[in-house]
Amino acid sequence: MRFQDAARDGRAVVYAGIQAEPVVARAASLLADAGPAQRVLARAVMNGESTDPAGWMAMFPTLFGADVAAGPERARSEAILATSLEVADRGEQVRSSVRGAIVEALTAVLLERRVGTAAVRRERRILFDGVRAEIHPYDVTVERDGAAEAYDCKWGARGINPDVLHQLDDARGHAAEEDETLRVALVIFDAERSCRVRMERQTAPTAGTGLIALETLDRLASG
Amino acid sequence: MTDPQSISDLIERALTGYEALTALGEDIEDEWSYVNDLSAAWTDRLTAVAAARSATAASPAEIVAVDRALAEIDAITDPHRAIDWLSTFPQVVLVALREAS
Repeated sequence: MRFQDAARDGRAVVYAGIQAEPVVARAASLLADAGPAQRVLARAVMNGESTDPAGWMAMFPTLFGADVAAGPERARSEAILATSLEVADRGEQVRSSVRGAIVEALTAVLLERRVGTAAVRRERRILFDGVRAEIHPYDVTVERDGAAEAYDCKWGARGINPDVLHQLDDARGHAAEEDETLRVALVIFDAERSCRVRMERQTAPTAGTGLIALETLDRLASG
Repeated sequence: MTDPQSISDLIERALTGYEALTALGEDIEDEWSYVNDLSAAWTDRLTAVAAARSATAASPAEIVAVDRALAEIDAITDPHRAIDWLSTFPQVVLVALREAS
Protein backbone atom coordinates (compact mmCIF):
# COMPACT_ATOMS: atom_id res chain seq x y z
CA MET A 1 0.00 0.00 0.00
CA ARG A 2 1.35 3.42 -0.91
CA PHE A 3 0.03 6.96 -1.14
CA GLN A 4 0.29 9.32 -4.08
CA ASP A 5 -0.77 12.89 -4.86
CA ALA A 6 -3.93 13.10 -6.95
CA ALA A 7 -3.63 14.14 -10.56
CA ARG A 8 -3.79 17.92 -11.05
CA ASP A 9 -6.67 17.95 -13.49
CA GLY A 10 -8.94 20.94 -14.08
CA ARG A 11 -11.31 20.02 -11.27
CA ALA A 12 -8.44 19.67 -8.83
CA VAL A 13 -7.00 23.05 -9.76
CA VAL A 14 -10.34 24.81 -9.30
CA TYR A 15 -11.00 23.02 -6.03
CA ALA A 16 -7.53 23.82 -4.73
CA GLY A 17 -8.45 27.47 -5.14
CA ILE A 18 -11.54 26.93 -3.01
CA GLN A 19 -9.53 25.07 -0.37
CA ALA A 20 -7.05 27.94 -0.20
CA GLU A 21 -9.68 30.59 0.50
CA PRO A 22 -8.94 32.20 3.89
CA VAL A 23 -12.53 31.69 5.06
CA VAL A 24 -12.03 27.91 4.85
CA ALA A 25 -9.08 27.85 7.24
CA ARG A 26 -10.75 30.37 9.54
CA ALA A 27 -13.94 28.32 9.75
CA ALA A 28 -12.02 25.10 10.32
CA SER A 29 -10.00 26.65 13.12
CA LEU A 30 -13.12 28.00 14.84
CA LEU A 31 -15.08 24.77 14.45
CA ALA A 32 -12.22 22.64 15.74
CA ASP A 33 -12.65 24.23 19.16
CA ALA A 34 -16.43 24.58 18.96
CA GLY A 35 -19.03 22.77 21.00
CA PRO A 36 -21.94 20.81 19.50
CA ALA A 37 -24.37 23.76 19.57
CA GLN A 38 -21.84 26.03 17.86
CA ARG A 39 -21.35 23.42 15.16
CA VAL A 40 -25.11 23.19 14.63
CA LEU A 41 -25.13 27.00 14.32
CA ALA A 42 -22.51 26.82 11.57
CA ARG A 43 -24.43 24.11 9.75
CA ALA A 44 -27.70 26.03 9.95
CA VAL A 45 -26.29 29.38 8.84
CA MET A 46 -24.26 27.92 5.98
CA ASN A 47 -27.41 26.04 4.86
CA GLY A 48 -29.68 28.97 5.46
CA GLU A 49 -31.69 31.44 3.43
CA SER A 50 -31.43 34.39 5.82
CA THR A 51 -28.31 36.49 6.18
CA ASP A 52 -29.62 38.59 9.07
CA PRO A 53 -27.34 38.04 12.09
CA ALA A 54 -30.00 39.11 14.60
CA GLY A 55 -32.36 36.42 13.36
CA TRP A 56 -29.75 33.70 13.80
CA MET A 57 -28.85 34.98 17.26
CA ALA A 58 -32.51 34.75 18.26
CA MET A 59 -32.64 31.21 16.89
CA PHE A 60 -29.77 30.14 19.18
CA PRO A 61 -30.61 31.49 22.66
CA THR A 62 -28.25 29.01 24.32
CA LEU A 63 -25.36 30.72 22.50
CA PHE A 64 -26.51 34.35 22.30
CA GLY A 65 -29.21 34.75 24.95
CA ALA A 66 -29.17 37.49 27.57
CA ASP A 67 -27.99 34.95 30.14
CA VAL A 68 -24.90 34.03 28.10
CA ALA A 69 -22.09 36.09 29.54
CA ALA A 70 -19.44 37.81 27.48
CA GLY A 71 -16.31 35.69 27.28
CA PRO A 72 -14.41 33.29 25.05
CA GLU A 73 -17.39 31.00 24.32
CA ARG A 74 -19.69 33.82 23.31
CA ALA A 75 -16.90 35.38 21.26
CA ARG A 76 -16.41 32.05 19.49
CA SER A 77 -20.13 31.82 18.76
CA GLU A 78 -20.08 35.33 17.32
CA ALA A 79 -17.04 34.53 15.18
CA ILE A 80 -18.65 31.31 13.93
CA LEU A 81 -21.80 33.22 13.04
CA ALA A 82 -19.86 35.92 11.16
CA THR A 83 -17.76 33.36 9.29
CA SER A 84 -20.78 31.22 8.44
CA LEU A 85 -22.65 34.24 7.10
CA GLU A 86 -19.65 35.02 4.93
CA VAL A 87 -20.01 31.54 3.41
CA ALA A 88 -23.80 31.80 3.14
CA ASP A 89 -23.46 35.04 1.21
CA ARG A 90 -21.85 33.22 -1.71
CA GLY A 91 -23.70 31.80 -4.68
CA GLU A 92 -25.18 28.36 -4.21
CA GLN A 93 -22.53 26.45 -6.17
CA VAL A 94 -19.57 28.20 -4.54
CA ARG A 95 -21.19 27.90 -1.13
CA SER A 96 -21.49 24.16 -1.62
CA SER A 97 -17.82 23.82 -2.56
CA VAL A 98 -16.69 26.01 0.33
CA ARG A 99 -18.74 23.97 2.81
CA GLY A 100 -17.13 20.77 1.57
CA ALA A 101 -13.68 22.29 1.83
CA ILE A 102 -14.42 23.42 5.40
CA VAL A 103 -15.32 19.87 6.47
CA GLU A 104 -12.08 18.59 4.96
CA ALA A 105 -9.99 21.32 6.59
CA LEU A 106 -11.70 20.74 9.94
CA THR A 107 -11.00 17.02 9.67
CA ALA A 108 -7.34 17.74 8.96
CA VAL A 109 -7.03 20.17 11.89
CA LEU A 110 -8.53 17.68 14.34
CA LEU A 111 -6.43 14.78 13.06
CA GLU A 112 -3.26 16.88 13.33
CA ARG A 113 -3.92 17.28 17.03
CA ARG A 114 -3.64 13.50 17.41
CA VAL A 115 -1.00 12.46 14.90
CA GLY A 116 0.93 15.66 14.11
CA THR A 117 0.97 17.82 11.02
CA ALA A 118 3.42 15.77 8.96
CA ALA A 119 1.26 12.63 8.88
CA VAL A 120 -1.91 14.35 7.65
CA ARG A 121 -2.28 14.79 3.90
CA ARG A 122 -5.02 15.97 1.56
CA GLU A 123 -6.29 14.78 -1.82
CA ARG A 124 -4.26 11.58 -1.94
CA ARG A 125 -4.77 8.34 -3.81
CA ILE A 126 -4.00 4.99 -2.26
CA LEU A 127 -2.33 2.43 -4.52
CA PHE A 128 -2.27 -1.34 -4.06
CA ASP A 129 -0.30 -3.92 -6.02
CA GLY A 130 -2.30 -5.34 -8.90
CA VAL A 131 -5.34 -3.13 -8.25
CA ARG A 132 -6.45 -0.38 -10.59
CA ALA A 133 -6.20 2.95 -8.78
CA GLU A 134 -9.40 4.77 -7.89
CA ILE A 135 -9.96 7.94 -9.89
CA HIS A 136 -11.15 9.98 -6.94
CA PRO A 137 -8.63 10.80 -4.24
CA TYR A 138 -9.35 10.50 -0.55
CA ASP A 139 -10.11 13.84 1.06
CA VAL A 140 -7.83 13.40 4.05
CA THR A 141 -5.34 10.66 4.87
CA VAL A 142 -3.14 9.84 7.83
CA GLU A 143 0.05 8.32 6.51
CA ARG A 144 1.90 6.39 9.20
CA ASP A 145 3.53 2.96 9.09
CA GLY A 146 1.14 0.40 10.49
CA ALA A 147 -1.56 2.92 11.35
CA ALA A 148 -2.80 4.54 8.18
CA GLU A 149 -6.22 6.17 7.92
CA ALA A 150 -8.38 7.43 5.06
CA TYR A 151 -11.34 9.78 5.35
CA ASP A 152 -14.03 10.95 2.99
CA CYS A 153 -15.68 14.16 4.13
CA LYS A 154 -19.22 15.34 3.40
CA TRP A 155 -21.23 18.35 4.43
CA GLY A 156 -24.47 16.42 4.91
CA ALA A 157 -25.82 12.93 5.37
CA ARG A 158 -27.22 13.00 1.86
CA GLY A 159 -23.65 12.87 0.60
CA ILE A 160 -23.35 9.28 1.78
CA ASN A 161 -23.67 7.17 -1.36
CA PRO A 162 -22.67 3.75 -2.71
CA ASP A 163 -19.61 5.05 -4.57
CA VAL A 164 -17.94 6.49 -1.51
CA LEU A 165 -18.84 3.50 0.67
CA HIS A 166 -17.45 1.05 -1.89
CA GLN A 167 -14.28 3.08 -2.33
CA LEU A 168 -13.57 3.19 1.39
CA ASP A 169 -14.41 -0.46 1.94
CA ASP A 170 -12.40 -1.58 -1.07
CA ALA A 171 -9.35 0.32 0.19
CA ARG A 172 -9.67 -1.25 3.63
CA GLY A 173 -10.00 -4.70 2.07
CA HIS A 174 -7.04 -4.27 -0.28
CA ALA A 175 -4.91 -3.05 2.61
CA ALA A 176 -5.82 -6.14 4.60
CA GLU A 177 -4.82 -8.32 1.65
CA GLU A 178 -1.37 -6.71 1.88
CA ASP A 179 -1.32 -7.25 5.67
CA GLU A 180 -1.58 -3.51 6.18
CA THR A 181 -3.91 -1.71 8.53
CA LEU A 182 -6.01 1.05 6.99
CA ARG A 183 -8.74 2.60 9.09
CA VAL A 184 -11.44 4.12 6.90
CA ALA A 185 -14.25 6.46 7.91
CA LEU A 186 -16.76 9.00 6.73
CA VAL A 187 -16.69 12.44 8.32
CA ILE A 188 -20.13 14.01 7.99
CA PHE A 189 -20.91 17.52 9.23
CA ASP A 190 -24.44 16.45 10.09
CA ALA A 191 -26.25 14.77 12.96
CA GLU A 192 -25.50 11.11 13.57
CA ARG A 193 -29.22 10.35 13.50
CA SER A 194 -29.46 11.61 9.91
CA CYS A 195 -26.32 9.74 8.91
CA ARG A 196 -27.66 6.46 10.34
CA VAL A 197 -30.92 6.87 8.42
CA ARG A 198 -28.93 7.41 5.24
CA MET A 199 -26.58 4.49 5.86
CA GLU A 200 -29.41 2.08 6.65
CA ARG A 201 -30.70 2.61 3.13
CA GLN A 202 -27.39 1.67 1.50
CA THR A 203 -26.69 -1.76 0.06
CA ALA A 204 -22.97 -1.00 -0.18
CA PRO A 205 -20.85 -2.40 2.67
CA THR A 206 -20.79 -0.22 5.79
CA ALA A 207 -19.64 -2.57 8.56
CA GLY A 208 -15.94 -1.79 8.19
CA THR A 209 -16.35 1.94 7.69
CA GLY A 210 -16.39 4.29 10.65
CA LEU A 211 -18.74 7.21 10.98
CA ILE A 212 -17.71 10.53 12.50
CA ALA A 213 -20.74 12.80 12.75
CA LEU A 214 -21.28 16.35 14.00
CA GLU A 215 -21.58 15.21 17.61
CA THR A 216 -18.47 13.03 17.51
CA LEU A 217 -15.99 15.14 15.53
CA ASP A 218 -13.67 15.44 18.50
CA ARG A 219 -12.93 11.71 18.23
CA LEU A 220 -10.71 12.61 15.28
CA ALA A 221 -8.42 14.39 17.72
CA SER A 222 -8.63 11.86 20.52
CA GLY A 223 -8.59 8.64 18.50
CA MET B 1 -54.55 36.09 30.18
CA THR B 2 -53.54 33.05 28.13
CA ASP B 3 -51.89 29.96 29.53
CA PRO B 4 -48.13 29.80 29.00
CA GLN B 5 -47.11 27.75 26.03
CA SER B 6 -45.62 24.39 26.99
CA ILE B 7 -42.60 22.75 25.40
CA SER B 8 -45.04 20.18 24.06
CA ASP B 9 -47.14 22.89 22.36
CA LEU B 10 -44.01 24.46 20.93
CA ILE B 11 -42.81 21.18 19.46
CA GLU B 12 -46.27 20.51 18.05
CA ARG B 13 -46.02 23.80 16.15
CA ALA B 14 -42.49 22.93 15.04
CA LEU B 15 -43.71 19.59 13.71
CA THR B 16 -46.45 21.26 11.69
CA GLY B 17 -43.82 23.31 9.88
CA TYR B 18 -41.65 20.22 9.58
CA GLU B 19 -44.47 18.37 7.77
CA ALA B 20 -44.58 21.10 5.13
CA LEU B 21 -40.80 20.90 4.76
CA THR B 22 -41.08 17.12 4.30
CA ALA B 23 -43.68 17.61 1.58
CA LEU B 24 -41.32 19.98 -0.25
CA GLY B 25 -38.42 17.52 0.03
CA GLU B 26 -40.62 14.80 -1.47
CA ASP B 27 -40.46 16.69 -4.76
CA ILE B 28 -37.09 15.01 -5.30
CA GLU B 29 -38.51 11.68 -6.40
CA ASP B 30 -35.22 9.75 -6.12
CA GLU B 31 -35.01 10.73 -2.46
CA TRP B 32 -38.66 10.13 -1.54
CA SER B 33 -37.97 7.19 0.76
CA TYR B 34 -34.97 8.84 2.37
CA VAL B 35 -36.94 12.02 2.93
CA ASN B 36 -39.69 10.13 4.69
CA ASP B 37 -37.35 7.95 6.73
CA LEU B 38 -35.39 11.03 7.80
CA SER B 39 -38.54 12.92 8.66
CA ALA B 40 -39.89 10.00 10.67
CA ALA B 41 -36.65 9.61 12.62
CA TRP B 42 -36.56 13.26 13.66
CA THR B 43 -40.31 13.43 14.30
CA ASP B 44 -39.89 10.52 16.71
CA ARG B 45 -37.08 12.36 18.51
CA LEU B 46 -39.02 15.61 18.81
CA THR B 47 -42.16 13.77 19.89
CA ALA B 48 -40.18 12.04 22.63
CA VAL B 49 -38.95 15.41 23.92
CA ALA B 50 -42.49 16.78 23.81
CA ALA B 51 -43.77 13.85 25.86
CA ALA B 52 -40.98 14.14 28.41
CA ARG B 53 -41.48 17.88 28.88
CA SER B 54 -45.22 18.24 28.37
CA ALA B 55 -45.63 19.99 31.71
CA THR B 56 -42.75 22.41 31.19
CA ALA B 57 -43.51 25.96 30.12
CA ALA B 58 -41.46 27.22 27.18
CA SER B 59 -39.43 30.32 27.89
CA PRO B 60 -39.90 33.44 25.76
CA ALA B 61 -36.44 32.88 24.25
CA GLU B 62 -37.32 29.29 23.32
CA ILE B 63 -40.55 30.43 21.67
CA VAL B 64 -38.74 33.11 19.67
CA ALA B 65 -36.04 30.62 18.67
CA VAL B 66 -38.52 28.08 17.31
CA ASP B 67 -40.50 30.82 15.58
CA ARG B 68 -37.32 32.02 13.85
CA ALA B 69 -36.46 28.47 12.84
CA LEU B 70 -39.98 28.02 11.46
CA ALA B 71 -39.63 31.28 9.50
CA GLU B 72 -36.34 30.01 8.08
CA ILE B 73 -37.83 26.77 6.75
CA ASP B 74 -40.93 28.60 5.55
CA ALA B 75 -38.67 30.67 3.26
CA ILE B 76 -37.28 27.57 1.55
CA THR B 77 -38.55 26.89 -1.96
CA ASP B 78 -35.82 24.60 -3.28
CA PRO B 79 -36.56 20.93 -2.50
CA HIS B 80 -32.84 20.11 -2.28
CA ARG B 81 -32.40 22.72 0.41
CA ALA B 82 -35.53 21.38 2.07
CA ILE B 83 -33.80 18.00 2.40
CA ASP B 84 -30.79 19.70 4.02
CA TRP B 85 -33.16 21.34 6.49
CA LEU B 86 -35.02 18.12 7.26
CA SER B 87 -31.87 17.29 9.19
CA THR B 88 -30.90 20.82 10.27
CA PHE B 89 -34.24 22.11 11.57
CA PRO B 90 -34.72 19.46 14.30
CA GLN B 91 -31.14 20.01 15.44
CA VAL B 92 -31.77 23.75 15.75
CA VAL B 93 -34.98 23.15 17.72
CA LEU B 94 -33.26 20.68 20.04
CA VAL B 95 -30.34 23.04 20.65
CA ALA B 96 -32.80 25.82 21.52
CA LEU B 97 -34.48 23.49 24.03
CA ARG B 98 -31.12 22.30 25.43
CA GLU B 99 -31.79 18.76 24.27
CA ALA B 100 -29.36 16.36 22.63
CA SER B 101 -29.81 15.36 19.01
